[in-house]
Amino acid sequence: MVTDKKYTTVSLPTPLFEKIQEKIKGTGFTSVSDYVTFVLREILTHGTDQEAFNAEDEKKVKDRLRSLGYLD
Amino acid sequence: MRVAVIGLDCAAPELIFHKLKDYLPNLSMMTEAGISGKLRSCDPPITVPAWMVMSTGRSPGELGLYGFRSRVPNSYNDIKIPTSQDIKFDTVWDILGKRNKRSIIIAVPPSYPPKPVPGLLVTDFLTPDTNKEFTYPPGLKNDILRDFPDYKFDVKFRKPEKKQILDEIYRMTDTRFRMAEKMLKEKQWDFFFMVEIGIDRIHHSFWRYIDEESHLYENDPEMKEKFISYFKMVDSHIGKMLEQFDEDTVVLIVSDHGAKAMKGAFAFNQWLIKEGYLKLNGNIPKQGASLDELDIDWSHSKAWAWGGYYARVFLNIKGREPEGIIDVRDVKKELEILKEKIKSIKGPNGEEWKTRVFEPEEAYPVVNGDRSDLFVYLDDLSWRTAGTVGYDTDYLLENDTGPDDAVHDYDGIYIMYRKNKKIGKVIDSTIFRIAPTILEFYRVRKMYGMQGKPLEGFDYFE
Repeated sequence: MVTDKKYTTVSLPTPLFEKIQEKIKGTGFTSVSDYVTFVLREILTHGTDQEAFNAEDEKKVKDRLRSLGYLD
Repeated sequence: MRVAVIGLDCAAPELIFHKLKDYLPNLSMMTEAGISGKLRSCDPPITVPAWMVMSTGRSPGELGLYGFRSRVPNSYNDIKIPTSQDIKFDTVWDILGKRNKRSIIIAVPPSYPPKPVPGLLVTDFLTPDTNKEFTYPPGLKNDILRDFPDYKFDVKFRKPEKKQILDEIYRMTDTRFRMAEKMLKEKQWDFFFMVEIGIDRIHHSFWRYIDEESHLYENDPEMKEKFISYFKMVDSHIGKMLEQFDEDTVVLIVSDHGAKAMKGAFAFNQWLIKEGYLKLNGNIPKQGASLDELDIDWSHSKAWAWGGYYARVFLNIKGREPEGIIDVRDVKKELEILKEKIKSIKGPNGEEWKTRVFEPEEAYPVVNGDRSDLFVYLDDLSWRTAGTVGYDTDYLLENDTGPDDAVHDYDGIYIMYRKNKKIGKVIDSTIFRIAPTILEFYRVRKMYGMQGKPLEGFDYFE
């Protein structure tokens, strides 16, 4: 589903929700959503091999590094 | 107890502890009160990988990072810029995050694209530009650009406009510190780590104005004054941060490597051509031609090199390179011969050089990723390497690409300080001890395979 909204809702089993609520008490995570987002992002970034740069970005960074004398 | 790490890329012991000491009241006070010393960098002593060695406690070999570019395996000159995705080990903030500690991480290379962290993260100077997602959480980007619309990751050098570049570096650093101070004040954090790249840029471009020993030395009081006022500005920002830190905050000032005057650049591929290792079809098209601009006869070439602060020399090995010619059984022998030849390179006036040549396996317990067959520190890093060719001489007094007054030196600095603790010791140490030190202050004693121990004397601060 494509949406313009910045956030959307997913369903979690209530016992799991409560478990997370308990786990994050007194920690830096301010909500269950905060925690779940963190964990999912962590898994997704470690689990994909997506290229970090597109060709244009890479050129930009390489040009700057070249101007600083790091390449060649 | 919490830890705040302020990273000054390239900060050199001679400047911070001696030459500029009197201009830097905050750093000097911290040095006198805390424990400080030289911090031996990793091999190679270069920004990437050094900050990640500091952040993970792992060697460049384990990280598989050997500089600002990695070779695309099996290619001759296809390069890849390292990104956060290349870091396969947990950083200290990853480890602390699993213990529910919130971190503020600013510009620690390589950290683009931004990886999630419990807390806040701003990416480093390898970020293409501020149009990209450069923060975690993503919304932080808007706050930063609202408050600091001219936020910059790095500067781009245009050789003739030196004064403007200096002003640009000044503004970049000042903005990053102001942003960091605002985040420290307004956000909740248990661990803080920022890196300022401006010091490195200042050293590389303006070292000639403060080092009378350098062959490039220029007596220009205005430039010297600007150089010093840049450091004063950095010091005053550190002072502002200190005001925000309470007695329970251990402050670590660190640098990833040091700097010294560049004596020149040695045209390594040109030398390899003369020695018969690299063969060209036809003539060299122009002075300063890079590998990409040359028509190389790979089927008759045994080796080629990449330039930079150190030389990376690759052998053209059968089955590994597209047109490899060295049989894998002959690699050892070929390496030994080439090592001896490289070690015998003398200076422009026939002077002896203290050149170090080693295979990665000699430097690291584990060697991951694509690496060169030899690492070469010409004259102990005083001469940088030019990969380009087409010069009348192999010895270039200026760098072949970009401006360069300074090269890297092995020793950076560290200062460990806590308010109201008077220790005043000087103990030299190594970059491998920073990550274990940080974890020790949070009582994380499982060191995750890190080879270093906490900095000597850390217990004075507990």
